Amino acid sequence: MNVDKREIYRYLGYQGRVPDENVLREVDRCLEELREAVTPRFVYRQYPIERFFTDNIERPFLDEKPGAELFIEKPFLDEKPGTELFIDRPFSEEKPGTELLSIAGMKIQSRSLCRNLRDCKSAYLMAATLGIGPDRLIARASVAKMSRAVILQAAAAAMIEAWCDEVNQKIIKEAEDQGLYCRPRFSPGYGDFSLEYQKDFAQILRIQKEIGVSLTQSLLMMPSKSVTAVIGLSPVKKECALHGCEVCSKAEECSFSRIKALEQQP
Amino acid sequence: MPDRTLMSTEKKEPILPDPSGRRPLLERLGREWLFFDGGTGTILQEKGLKGGELPEKWNLSRPEDIIDLHCGYLNAGCDIFNTNTFGANALKYPEDLSQIVEAAVALAKEARRRTGREDAYIALDIGPTGRLLEPLGDLPFEKAVDLFGEVVRIGAAAGADLVLIETMSDSYESKAAVLAAKENCDLPVLITNVYDSTGKLLTGGTVDSTVAMLEGLRVDGLGVNCGMGPEQMIPIVKRMTETASVPILVNPNAGLPRTENGKTVYDVDPETFAQWMKKIAAMGVQAIGGCCGTTPEHIRRTVQCVRGTAPAAGHEALEVQGEQGVPFVPNTPKHRTVVSSFSQAVEIGEKPVIIGERINPTGKKKFKEALRENNIEYILTEGLNQEESGAHILDVNVGLPEIDEPRMMETVVTRLQSILALPLQIDTSDPAALERGMRLYNGKPMVNSVNGKKESLEAVFPLVRKYGGVVVGLVLDESGIPETADGRIAVAKKIYEAADRYSVPREDVVIDGLAMTISSDTKGALVTLETLRRVRDELHGHTILGVSNISFGLPQRAIINAHFLTMALQMGLSCAIMNPGNEDMMCAYRAFLALSDMDPQCMGYINAYANAQRTKVTTAGLPARNSMADGRNDGTPAADGRNDGNSAAGGRNTGIDAADGKNGAGGTGTGSGSAMSLGPCIERGMGKSAADAVRRLLDSGIPGLEIINNELIPALDRVGKGFEKGTIFLPQLLMSAEAAKAAFEVIKETIQGGEGESRGRIILATVKGDIHDIGKNIVKVMLENYGYDILDLGKDVAPETIVETALKENIALVGLSALMTTTVVSMEETIRLLREKKPDTRVVVGGAVMTQEYADAIGADCYAPDAMATVHYAEKIFG
Repeated sequence: MNVDKREIYRYLGYQGRVPDENVLREVDRCLEELREAVTPRFVYRQYPIERFFTDNIERPFLDEKPGAELFIEKPFLDEKPGTELFIDRPFSEEKPGTELLSIAGMKIQSRSLCRNLRDCKSAYLMAATLGIGPDRLIARASVAKMSRAVILQAAAAAMIEAWCDEVNQKIIKEAEDQGLYCRPRFSPGYGDFSLEYQKDFAQILRIQKEIGVSLTQSLLMMPSKSVTAVIGLSPVKKECALHGCEVCSKAEECSFSRIKALEQQP
Repeated sequence: MPDRTLMSTEKKEPILPDPSGRRPLLERLGREWLFFDGGTGTILQEKGLKGGELPEKWNLSRPEDIIDLHCGYLNAGCDIFNTNTFGANALKYPEDLSQIVEAAVALAKEARRRTGREDAYIALDIGPTGRLLEPLGDLPFEKAVDLFGEVVRIGAAAGADLVLIETMSDSYESKAAVLAAKENCDLPVLITNVYDSTGKLLTGGTVDSTVAMLEGLRVDGLGVNCGMGPEQMIPIVKRMTETASVPILVNPNAGLPRTENGKTVYDVDPETFAQWMKKIAAMGVQAIGGCCGTTPEHIRRTVQCVRGTAPAAGHEALEVQGEQGVPFVPNTPKHRTVVSSFSQAVEIGEKPVIIGERINPTGKKKFKEALRENNIEYILTEGLNQEESGAHILDVNVGLPEIDEPRMMETVVTRLQSILALPLQIDTSDPAALERGMRLYNGKPMVNSVNGKKESLEAVFPLVRKYGGVVVGLVLDESGIPETADGRIAVAKKIYEAADRYSVPREDVVIDGLAMTISSDTKGALVTLETLRRVRDELHGHTILGVSNISFGLPQRAIINAHFLTMALQMGLSCAIMNPGNEDMMCAYRAFLALSDMDPQCMGYINAYANAQRTKVTTAGLPARNSMADGRNDGTPAADGRNDGNSAAGGRNTGIDAADGKNGAGGTGTGSGSAMSLGPCIERGMGKSAADAVRRLLDSGIPGLEIINNELIPALDRVGKGFEKGTIFLPQLLMSAEAAKAAFEVIKETIQGGEGESRGRIILATVKGDIHDIGKNIVKVMLENYGYDILDLGKDVAPETIVETALKENIALVGLSALMTTTVVSMEETIRLLREKKPDTRVVVGGAVMTQEYADAIGADCYAPDAMATVHYAEKIFG
């Protein structure tokens, strides 16, 4: 795993600066410990994307441009028997005619995700984790030495990003074999893509069984260094950003935002 | 609440013949080949189950498909088949759990009727909850037991023949499920776990540690399923045949999964699968079947190849000529003495092991204080230090008359096992505390102790029988401590016989020969040593001693202790309860291993002492403790013979002394930290140097309080200001805080009564639903530094707990942390409840998602964007 140390410094709040020698040494030590402790795993599968409107009235889809391929249309409210969407989720009633996505039976209402997935007819769902090792290391350091816990936390955060990049690269390759291009990965919690969808990811990818990731009641993943994401596949090539910050509408206010960090660079 | 009393759990019903003519499972399991069914999910997907759909729903909506699934396997010749209840628990089916489980059993019965396979056994299938248990996750252990227990009760009442717990990837959840099964029915209980290609559970357990725990819980069979194909399972199966004594069960997938068009597919065809299963059968396992991707055809061929006979009637056409079958070999008892943690197994008897004795309040003022004040961190630090020093097992004694010992035992055991990987020895004379500790323990514990008194035998052995454990048997009874070895051996025999009566294997007893101080009876050591020898030579048992008792009342106890340890080891001592931080005794231990051919190439000894500078010499002529800076990874018998880092918490490098001392002088220009003054030490975050600097100041006659006010606090303030200005960053801020803490500790020791003045008491908690506590812990370190007493309530804390504590302790300031938008709701609820019940308490909030606006909206008194802000607010409140 190719961990970007600048990411670690950024998570630690250094905002583009390089830490002093003491901290640098500690970062190296933490990385070494983490590499011993992690058990990286992943699971991903490809699914078609279907689109609907909540009121079943036909209209052009969000951001659909003339000339773009038409999306598969399917009535939403009176589905054919046997094709029912089984993951029930209440939708906001205020806006009839909202665009919905369905991936692997998961109905999604999210403008940000719709934007991310425009042009996409299928998507990969992925989940990746570093395993429980980092959590134990952090819990241990929280008792023994808090400064180390903080550095482990930052280093593990950078490491899971690196691991996701690695998994994402495999997906990009597979997509290329199909002549398709990946969109930046998009996780529940980004923009208005509700964290609630973690439940659907858990079921669809069987993350507990396959990679040992479980959800808490408040929908946090445990091991904590775990990520779920949608990666859209489009026939349209685009500057493919691997990372997600840039497409996140919370990037502005997020104190860990890569965008913000760049802006604040001296 | 299910009945958890001791005696009731061990009533084994006499095995009665079933009216259907079905023989009791336990008459057959382990005595002849038995076959499990194969995959469920794969087949249901073919029948139209969607990727994320809950398969158990089909018990109600598509019963014929489920019957069909069972019939396929029954016709293929399986003997044990699973109800469609893998994911059935009240978390996933809060409303219709009973209907789903009852239907599942009814459908299985119907399949049995339709196929005429009344001889087959219906296994109530139990899979994981999908949630991670506390403290790393948020599902309380007892809640997990209740969830499983509910399913077991429904399934057993509906007529299942056994409970099969499967696909468990976490040892702790496995334990909860087995206990639930045992406490809620009298059916046989089998369990199979998922291992990965490194031979470990997803949460780090090894075959050794898992087998030890499960056999301790008295399962009727154990094994491996899912995760991989038969070929990849072979090393795991092999290790099981070397460690397990109960029947071994093997249910592999049809190879490694591959994804095709969003579907998981498995490539190993029935014939290849059966050939591999034949190999596995010949390794000495007792029951086999399949998991994901296997079909009735896989099972049919496996039955044919292994049993070598025709499968069920009606399918003779498929019988292959000339199948030899594999001769059945029952499993044999291994008689190993093993204790385990979530990830490590320590075998007793191979090589002597060290049991750290420091978690014990006896004679320790600070430890007692920590217990009274619920200062768990102090206790945990004692554990980490002993692991660092080379202990293999940790004794845990938290007994103090004025505290709730069972509760404290539960807290300490669960917290310790979440941060370190050493097995624990539950040490208490209170049976209730013993049971809490054993029950909540994630593994097979050591139990300290039982003795020859009737009352003790009757209290302790049922617990050992139920939860598993290696129990320390003290050779004393109603008539006291025998003065002779003869007398002690007689009591030892009595304890072994009691073990027999309670069906606890004799190898799970280690005899404590009782070390008594030679200052009152100079023959004491000889009697103890002779007892050790005779237990080894005559009873073929293992022994244990609280080694340092031998020198009580004598000067320079380390000299006697170290030499007595060597003598005892020579007499076969298997476990030494001692302080692993006592370098004299560690020297004796390592030397003994090297001299007794228990340290290959003397590597343990060399690693420990090659770089040791004999700068300081104790009276015993042994190097003093602090000189062994690098003597860490000493090759002493770590768990499973290795310390491979995967068991995260098992790594020796706890970092307690890291970033300090030897490298701390970097950039100071002095070339050595030793001469540095206190201020710079703190600013640079050098704990040891800071402590040294304080000692020098104290030696030169400056009072402690003056040092605090003129040196320590100003240094901390400089760092804090730098942090606020953005010239110093969080890691440095904390390192400085830690250095200051080290300095405070030194001063505290010199102040009369050992107490510094408290500036105020503050509650800190991460709110309900949130299990990330790093932010809260940062704030805690800072506040402590500024002299505040912190009542740390931990993470995932209910509003009621916070309010109750605030009321009870009359707390003026509460700090709340929340990481996620979703848990800010709990924060709001906590504040609302506080305002209602204790309106004079101020609330400061922080956390990743928190903003001033948010804080205002939920009615907090202060928003703290960082750790220093909380310190400032506390200063404002407490003046």
